[in-house]
Parts: sequence; C-alpha cells; structure tokens
Amino acid sequence: MGSVALRNIRKSYGAVEVLHGIDLDIKEGEFTVLVGPSGCGKSTLLRSIAGLETISGGDIAIDDRVINALVPKERDIAMVFQNYALYPHMTVAKNMGFSLRLAKEPQAEIDRKVRAAAEILDLTALLDRYPRQLSGGQRQRVAMGRAIVRDPKVFLFDEPLSNLDAKLRVQMRSEIKELHQRLKTTTIYVTHDQIEAMTMADKIVVMRGGHVEQIGTPLELYDSPASVFVAGFIGSPSMNFIPAHATGTTLETETGMPLGETPAPLGHNQQVIAGFRPEDIRLSDTGIPAKVALIEPTGAETQLTLRTDEASVIMTTRERVTQTPGGLVHFSVTPGKLHAFDAETELTLAGARQ
Amino acid sequence: MLRSDRFLAYALILPVVAAVVAFVVGPTYNVATLSLTQVVMGMERGFGTLGNFKALAADPVFGLVLKNTAIWILGGTFLCVTVGLAVGTYLAIDSRMTGWLRALILLPWVLPDVVTAMAWKWMLHGQVGIIGQTLQNTGLTEDTVSFLGDPQLVMWVLVVVLIWRKMPLVALILCAAIRSVPDDQMEAARMDGANAVERFRFVTLPNIAFSLTAVTVISMIWITAEFALPWIMTGGGPANASQIMATYIYQQSFEFFNWGVASAMSVINLVMLASIVALYLYINRRSWASEGSK
Repeated sequence: MGSVALRNIRKSYGAVEVLHGIDLDIKEGEFTVLVGPSGCGKSTLLRSIAGLETISGGDIAIDDRVINALVPKERDIAMVFQNYALYPHMTVAKNMGFSLRLAKEPQAEIDRKVRAAAEILDLTALLDRYPRQLSGGQRQRVAMGRAIVRDPKVFLFDEPLSNLDAKLRVQMRSEIKELHQRLKTTTIYVTHDQIEAMTMADKIVVMRGGHVEQIGTPLELYDSPASVFVAGFIGSPSMNFIPAHATGTTLETETGMPLGETPAPLGHNQQVIAGFRPEDIRLSDTGIPAKVALIEPTGAETQLTLRTDEASVIMTTRERVTQTPGGLVHFSVTPGKLHAFDAETELTLAGARQ
Repeated sequence: MLRSDRFLAYALILPVVAAVVAFVVGPTYNVATLSLTQVVMGMERGFGTLGNFKALAADPVFGLVLKNTAIWILGGTFLCVTVGLAVGTYLAIDSRMTGWLRALILLPWVLPDVVTAMAWKWMLHGQVGIIGQTLQNTGLTEDTVSFLGDPQLVMWVLVVVLIWRKMPLVALILCAAIRSVPDDQMEAARMDGANAVERFRFVTLPNIAFSLTAVTVISMIWITAEFALPWIMTGGGPANASQIMATYIYQQSFEFFNWGVASAMSVINLVMLASIVALYLYINRRSWASEGSK
C-alpha cells in the first residue's frame, strides 16, 4: 500500500511563495525522485509530505486519505535525513527501535524487528555501537534501518547520499535501489544529482523555482525533454544549445550552417533554440567547421570541446581520438537527434524520440 | 644548551607557580594548621588539637547551620537548575518576545550583590515592605508577613532571592545548549512519533546533559561561595535561623575572633566543595557526551 497524491500544493513563507501549486501522482511501490537545482522547492515539498512543514494550500493524500492536518507520527511515513539525524546517545539498536519504543510495542517484538532490519542492512554486528563509532556509510544504513523497522507506507529520502564520498555514494545508490526492489515500499527521494535521479528512479519529477518542470521515466526525460531547462539538467555532459532558425525543413544556425532536419513542422524563419546531445555528434568531412579546443579522455569515452564561430559545442565519442587541440574538424548532428525549443518560452517544439 | 632550555622552562612557569603557592596553597595550608590550633581571644595557644572540631560538634548552632546550609546549597542548586531549565526551554523558542526576554533576563545578574540584597531586604520588610503590603492589600494575607523575621520562612525566602539572582545565567546557558540541539534530530524524533514531552526527554535532555551537569556544579559552587546576599539581608538572623556556613564562618572569625573554630569550618566547607567537584568530574567522565568522537 502507499499511493501518494498531491493536489495543487502551495507553500508560502510570509509573502514569499516557494511552491506554486504542485500536482503529482505516485503509484504504490513506485520509486520517485524529485530533482532540481538548490532552491527549487524539492526539499520543501518532501518535508510537506512528511508533515514537518505545513502547506499553505492544496491536498496531500496517501491511499486516498487526505493527511493535511495530521502530525508526522500519524501519517505512517518514515524519513531518512541528509545528516542521518541519529540520536548520538543511543546505540544502533536503540536508534532503530526508538519509534517502536515510543509506540509502546513489547520489547521482544522491538528486538525481533530491529534484528530483522539489521539483517537486511548488514548491521547485525554493529547493533551495540554508538553512532560516533560508525563510518558515514554505516550511519546512513542505520538511518535507513530506522525507517525500515517501522514498515511505513512511504519512505522519504532527503538527499541521503550528499555527505558521502564519491565511491561510497555509488555503492549506497545501488544498495538503496536493491532495498527498494526487495521491500517494494513507495519511495520519494530528493536529490540535486541528476545521475542519482537517472539511475534510481522509476519516475523523475524535475522541479524548478517551485514548479514542476516535467514528470516522466528517466529515458522519457532524456529523449524528449519538455524544456531547455530539463534538456540541460538531465544528462552529463549537458545538451548543447545553439540559436537557430528554420529554413524550409532544415534548421540552420544564425550564420546559415545546416544542423539537420527540423524535428517538427516549423514556420519559415521561425527562431528556435536547437539542442543536441554530446553523443549525437559525428565528426565528418562535411558539416559545420569547428576548431578542437580541448580533448578530455576519460578512458571509455573522450570528451571534445569544439569551437565554431558561434558557440562552444561539447561532444563525446567512444572512438579513439586522433585530432589534436587547435586542429580543424567538421561535425554534424546524427539525423533525427535534433531538438528544437521555442526561443521565447524555451518549451519544446517536439524533438527527437528515437 | 639543554641546561639553559631547562632553566628557561622553569623561569617561564615560575610566575604561575608562585601565584598558586601564594594565593591558593599558602592560605589553604594556613587555614588547615589554624583549624588544628587552639585560639583564645585571637591568641594562638598550642597546635595539634582537634578541640576546634569538638567544639563545633558540641555547638548547638552548628547543627542548625548545617541544616540551613543544606537548604541553601542543595535546595538553591536544585531550584536554580530546574527553574533555569524551564525558563531556558521557554527562551529557546524563537519569537520576538523571547528575543527581548533573552536580553532582559540578565538584568538581575548584572546588578551588584549589595544593591540586590538591600533592595530585596526593603521589599521584604515586615512593616514597610512592598511585598507584604501588597499581599495584605489584596487580601491574600490578614497581616503583613515578616518574611525575613520568621524563622520558619527566612531560609526559603533567602533561597527565592538567590534563585532570582542566579537563575538567569543558568537559563541562558541552558537556552544556548537547547538551541544547539540539531534540528534534524528533533525532526527525526517527530517522524518517529515522539510528542513534545518525549522529544524533550529523549532528544533535548541527552543532548544538553553535558551543559546541564556543568551548570549544576557551577551553580553549586557559586551558591556555596555566596556570602553578601544572606549576610546583608539577615546577618544570619533571626536567632541564627538563617545562619549558613559562609555567614557563620565570617561571624566566628571576624566578630568573635574564634579563628580556630572558623578555620575548622572552612576545612569542612573545603572538603564538601571538593567532593562536589569530584562528583562532577566523575559524572563528566562517564557521560557519553564527553567521550568525543572515536
């Protein structure tokens, strides 16, 4: 159980509105990631669902029951905090069993549930330790254990991995995803890291400035971004953007270089922003001339920065690069991989889908 | 080279050692020997006697002094810390009101001892005191109460004034400690289903345990050393009903010139204080907060 429905959620601090009417449906068992730059309202939204913030308008429902007025403990939600928020004076076992103890469950039952959760998270050997005796990753697991023992309808994660080093982050990412596949509890996960969002989510909600920018599966967002913002936010390195205009069925740059076929019917001379991903660029004999400004090999693939008269373009290739910095090349965009966005609204004019 | 280094090291710590010897070790040694010396009318008459301690044991006033001192120190500390904790908890709430109060509350603490004592003495006066008058005018009491003249009452009235004077700093220290409790722990407790009382009991208290024990011991030491307040307000009266260790030592040494007996009491006082500090250190070592991050 545990479907979540948000209807027109608004939140203001005094005169400043930070959430401008959020609508969102999360199906039972779904792993949803709220992603966006800092200040976009994703954490506020999560804390509103948790009940740590009171919303100024709208409805939050879990399993069709509106929970706006309920205090956190009555919402049947567990939350994992960014700084773990473990109680420093309690052992791991006490930390994990605290909610059950408050709920006046018999000690034997608490022990059983704590042990079961510890088993899942590989914490059994650490049950008698204090948080200060644990590493960052272990603390994070205890924080998750504290959420698991309650067997709640919904898990909330508030940037849980941002305090870990890069290697541990990748490992914990897989652990959280595996945990979700095992428990199948509805999960809402907040992060500013689009890679976390892409790798973990069943559904990504991209937020910006208190609005929902786009909702979709990771690949939907990647293949058909609804706006320049989403296109630039999802994917690394980011999508390239070049001002362009339509000439017949062709998109041309300002200086008349052809980029490719328009992804959607456009008016003649209509101003657009053309977008294409770094991996959708091919070096060729013909095409747009550019100078190689920078070559950055990462092993599996190489990232090249190309400079045309108008813009800088990033491309990645899995082939071995023979060019040298300063050399002249020509590039073209893989047919069908061109996106076009309205120059004014920055919304998509429909784009590549393949 | 090595010799001159060593010489320099000793030279550098010499001032501190000299100061400690002159102002701590010396007087302590002096008082300790004096407590074992028979003194009559300010004249030393023979060393090596427990006569002063025996005299104290036989002194009926000393029993009363011990009882009063217990009320003064234990009652005073307990109330100071509990009231301070309650006020500190309130002050830790963010609002415009508490912002002002946090500044205002220090007022009793910045007044000189003598001013406080005199002001309270007159306010509590049996005939002309404003507090007794007000109680009578509002009909709460039939006659004016002589707060400082009633042997049953006087010790507790002194404790109330003491709290008024010492509690603000305790409240501020605890307020600061409470405000430094991490928000996310409080929020985690809310998510875990803890109500306000449970959050205070299971999150706030353990987090401020270190400050709480420190502030308890510090107030205990302050209160033990407090002399001006009781001396000016009652001078130990009426009929020794508010005589405490500090005032009795003063009276014995500087009014009756019984330096031997006074020194004996000082030694007892010192032993008491030392055990309090020892207890504090013991608790501190055991507390989880002092263990640091391993």
